[in-house]
Amino acid sequence: MNPTVDQLCEQFGRLVASTPTDRCGSGFTPDASVTHGQDVGDKPRPTPPAPVQKVDHAAKGYDLNVSVAPGQVVAAAEILDRTGFGLDTITGVDWIAQQEMEVVYDYFHPAASVRVAVRTRVPRAEPEVPTISAVFPGANWHERETHDFFGLRFRGHPKLTPFLLPDDADYHPLRKDYQP
Amino acid sequence: MEAAVDTSKFVKFAKLEDVLQLGRAYSLWPLTFGLACCAIEMMATGMARWDLARFGTEVFRPSPRQADLMIIAGTVNKKMAPAVKLLYDQMLEPKWVMALGNCAISGGPFVYPGQYGIVEGVDKLFPVDVYVPGCPPRPEALIEGILKLEEKMTGKRRFPVAKVQE
Amino acid sequence: MIAQPESLQSDRRGPPQETFVLNLGPQHPAAHGVLRVLMTMDGEWITRAEPVIGYIHRMHEKMGENRSWAKFLPNTSRIDYLSAMHYTHAFVGAVERAAKIEVPPRAEYIRVITSELNRIASHMVWWGALLSDLGGLTPFLYAFDDREMILDLLEGLCGARLTYCYYRFGGLYNDADDDFLRGARAFVKHMPPRLKMYRDLVTDNIILRKRLEKIGPISADMCRKYGATGPVIRGSGVAYDVRKVEPYSVYPKFDFLVPTFPEGDSMARYLVRMAEMEQSLRIIDQALDQIPAGPFQGKVPRVLRVPPGDYCYAVEAARGRFMVRIVSDGKDVPYRVKLRTPSFSNLSLFEEASRGMILPDALALLGSLDLVIPDIDR
Repeated sequence: MNPTVDQLCEQFGRLVASTPTDRCGSGFTPDASVTHGQDVGDKPRPTPPAPVQKVDHAAKGYDLNVSVAPGQVVAAAEILDRTGFGLDTITGVDWIAQQEMEVVYDYFHPAASVRVAVRTRVPRAEPEVPTISAVFPGANWHERETHDFFGLRFRGHPKLTPFLLPDDADYHPLRKDYQP
Repeated sequence: MEAAVDTSKFVKFAKLEDVLQLGRAYSLWPLTFGLACCAIEMMATGMARWDLARFGTEVFRPSPRQADLMIIAGTVNKKMAPAVKLLYDQMLEPKWVMALGNCAISGGPFVYPGQYGIVEGVDKLFPVDVYVPGCPPRPEALIEGILKLEEKMTGKRRFPVAKVQE
Repeated sequence: MIAQPESLQSDRRGPPQETFVLNLGPQHPAAHGVLRVLMTMDGEWITRAEPVIGYIHRMHEKMGENRSWAKFLPNTSRIDYLSAMHYTHAFVGAVERAAKIEVPPRAEYIRVITSELNRIASHMVWWGALLSDLGGLTPFLYAFDDREMILDLLEGLCGARLTYCYYRFGGLYNDADDDFLRGARAFVKHMPPRLKMYRDLVTDNIILRKRLEKIGPISADMCRKYGATGPVIRGSGVAYDVRKVEPYSVYPKFDFLVPTFPEGDSMARYLVRMAEMEQSLRIIDQALDQIPAGPFQGKVPRVLRVPPGDYCYAVEAARGRFMVRIVSDGKDVPYRVKLRTPSFSNLSLFEEASRGMILPDALALLGSLDLVIPDIDR
């Protein structure tokens, strides 16, 4: 049976409600107005939208947007593994203006036309997220690449050494404050 | 008594070095060293339509010890640069280098202020004999590069330059 | 761990006495590019094969952040140069989706025709390279012959043979003239007898069958967990094709099959690609029948600003699912461009899939995965 967006909404809703949100980060998607270089203290933060959102595929390219706390990414991956999703990609986005880094997990389903994006935010000073490579072995390479480009640490990852960059690289080029 | 034969028609004198250089120029053995997009055009040049073999560069050798022409086809990365230098060092003299494509000449489309990854031109690593511009260069451009290299080696160009038809 | 056929498992009893590390690449005759594989070998058998990548990392994602949306288009062709049209399509589609730009139907049809021609050209290079890895050097010449026909058509259309930058936001930069449409029709007639010849001489060849059948089994679950898509997942029995599951452009208007083979071995992946070429010819034929007259470029503002947010667009490239995720903050320069490339995910399962194989079989597996290394490294 192919999973539907409503079923996933329900499962993720339970997940998000079950865990305290002390390390949730600001949790808002970039739809709220975001500008370069603006200090966080200048204006009040926009209210974060719902953590589990149905999205119009034609407008955005995915069907379900889930914002979780960093500690919940493994549970989210397990829900998607159980419902037969495959790992599309993992990437980071450096929101330097808010001093946060966002990790985005994209999942596709081989049969159902459902695409899920799971996102989480961590503070830039302490960019650590648990690894999901025990659930999806493909995450091993994606997380290693994300570490290469952003310096995001994945707790429990077997080998977080430079991957695309030279072996002795100690820089993270996709950070917004990277100077060569 | 028989008449004296004018031998100058069929006996020529030349320096041995020049004759050997002619042999080297007309039978260059390239190293199979495709890095990126230009490698596909290099492969296409070796195929039936453009046939690099008729210019003597038929035998693409995988080992640098057996090759005398290194065609750098593609972008050289800072991670790859030591390997490229090692391959160049392993080739035996006399050897020639052709920089195929804009990336090998000067970094190509990947040069921007603050770039962190590529070597801007393979001549920063070792001397290059022929530069073939293009992104990627057409197979005809690669053949022209081979002919220019032959001209550099022997002093004479063996095929006429193609005239542009108006 | 996938069970290996008995005949190929190591016949040593007990753990290996001594292993050595064999370094394959980054320069090697198998025409895949600059891939390095560190293989821990127990004699002929591989105990662990670790790919080392990054030797052609060309900073595409960073370049996406420091040039305007349109200036990134040449980069898209160079990520995977063998199926460059698909990659440009994904980026152009993402921006069109985000900025709500309308694409006229004629442009969509020409995009489909050029994409499918590109798919056939890419599969021809894969086929020639795989055969040359296995030792058959002749098919490469035939493959490039067919490919040259396609390249001539595309060169007449957009001026480039390999790294086209043909699609623009809202359509194309040049209309397809009658020469191109006639040439495409002639190509569709020329190709099936060639494919039949390849089937008779190569696919049915006993040596190829022995080299590819039962080699490198990959299960559907493994594909899902590693994110392997394209012919890799279709060769494991899962009919996942982005053109059918997440339809884009005008693909819903065409009637075509998604070839799937259940065995999961290298031969299945080979047969998927050969059958895909036939389906591509079908699509091109139907597109040539249905193509409407009309404009080839929609309305696009001179300075393109994409509304803030993140947007994705996925296409079925020749190697699998290629997805672009763009994050915009409202400026005329992207905030983040993420390129999800199929070869990266396809190669990630090589370490697990190649355990216990002998070296020539591992190379056949690598060939059947159809990798383009700049696609992995971006």
